[in-house]
Amino acid sequence: MKIVFRFFFLAALVALGVWLWFVLFPSPERIIRARLTLLARTGSFTSGETYLAKLAITQRLAGYFATNVEVNIDVPGRVQHTFVGRDEIQQAAFAARTSLSGLKVQFPDINVTVAADKQSAVADLTVEANVAGDRDSIVQEMKFTFRQTDGEWLITRIETVRTLS
Amino acid sequence: MPAQNPVEQLNGRGQPQVPRWRILVIGRNPKVTLVRAAVLAVLCILGYNASLLHIRVEGISMLPTCQDGSAHFVNRLAYLWHEPRRGDVVSIRLAGVHLMYLKRIIGLPGETVAFANGRVLINGEVLDEPYEKLPCDWDIPPEKLGPDEYFVVGDNRSMPARDHKFGKVDRNRIVGKAVL
Repeated sequence: MKIVFRFFFLAALVALGVWLWFVLFPSPERIIRARLTLLARTGSFTSGETYLAKLAITQRLAGYFATNVEVNIDVPGRVQHTFVGRDEIQQAAFAARTSLSGLKVQFPDINVTVAADKQSAVADLTVEANVAGDRDSIVQEMKFTFRQTDGEWLITRIETVRTLS
Repeated sequence: MPAQNPVEQLNGRGQPQVPRWRILVIGRNPKVTLVRAAVLAVLCILGYNASLLHIRVEGISMLPTCQDGSAHFVNRLAYLWHEPRRGDVVSIRLAGVHLMYLKRIIGLPGETVAFANGRVLINGEVLDEPYEKLPCDWDIPPEKLGPDEYFVVGDNRSMPARDHKFGKVDRNRIVGKAVL
């Protein structure tokens, strides 16, 4: 009985150690996933935000992108736009927060591929966006390119993937 | 006074006889039955996850075959032994399987697909579509499919073509066949 207890105690200790290792030293993939989840959360909003709150959140949102970011959004029949630079992203985000009464963004599927040099990565993901008042949600596959800059994973490019061409 | 401890009935091996109903419900050895039930449950869950996907339709692009909000299953093993066929309703993955498109295959690899006045033309010949119930006036120029490409479209072609997601899809994006 004592041996069994010791065995389970040791196994629990090892599991705790492994968990702590992953928490303290997350892999680039985990960091990127976490950043994308936060980006989706930051990009979502409901009505009733004050002007200052909008400004602060859009500034925070812009922080996820590199200064020379290029975003190509092409959802047939819905949105078609190209943004170049962090400032344009911030302006577009602010305009969206002002004109729409609510938006919920989610990334239900995220596949991250980190380059061999661990300095860049590509995330292939599905974007689900629900605009308040719209019955149908916007669903689109997109490709996010990341680059590590000063220890931070910043988005350098967003492209629309044509699942059906 | 009658005896309070009736003599236990013994089986052929000298063990107490277990009532038949108990054998039927939990077996001769409850521990073994429990292990068997657990193994069976795990196998069922693994088998279910490997073979079926539960989906809920959102949108009207597959009307009238699939109603908005209806629930279906996708058979992931359907194309294990043969390739997708024309007329199959299939699920198409995007980045993963949490959100997928549900469409019907109308064009097979190597074929040329076009729409003329709402009718589907495969290699220039009109395709008979008994599932197509809603009026359609689409005109789409011919598109040649590659060796690994299928042409998929929803059944509701009464909506404008620009609002409807359809087109060529790679074989590796087809997850399985919808069980309607």
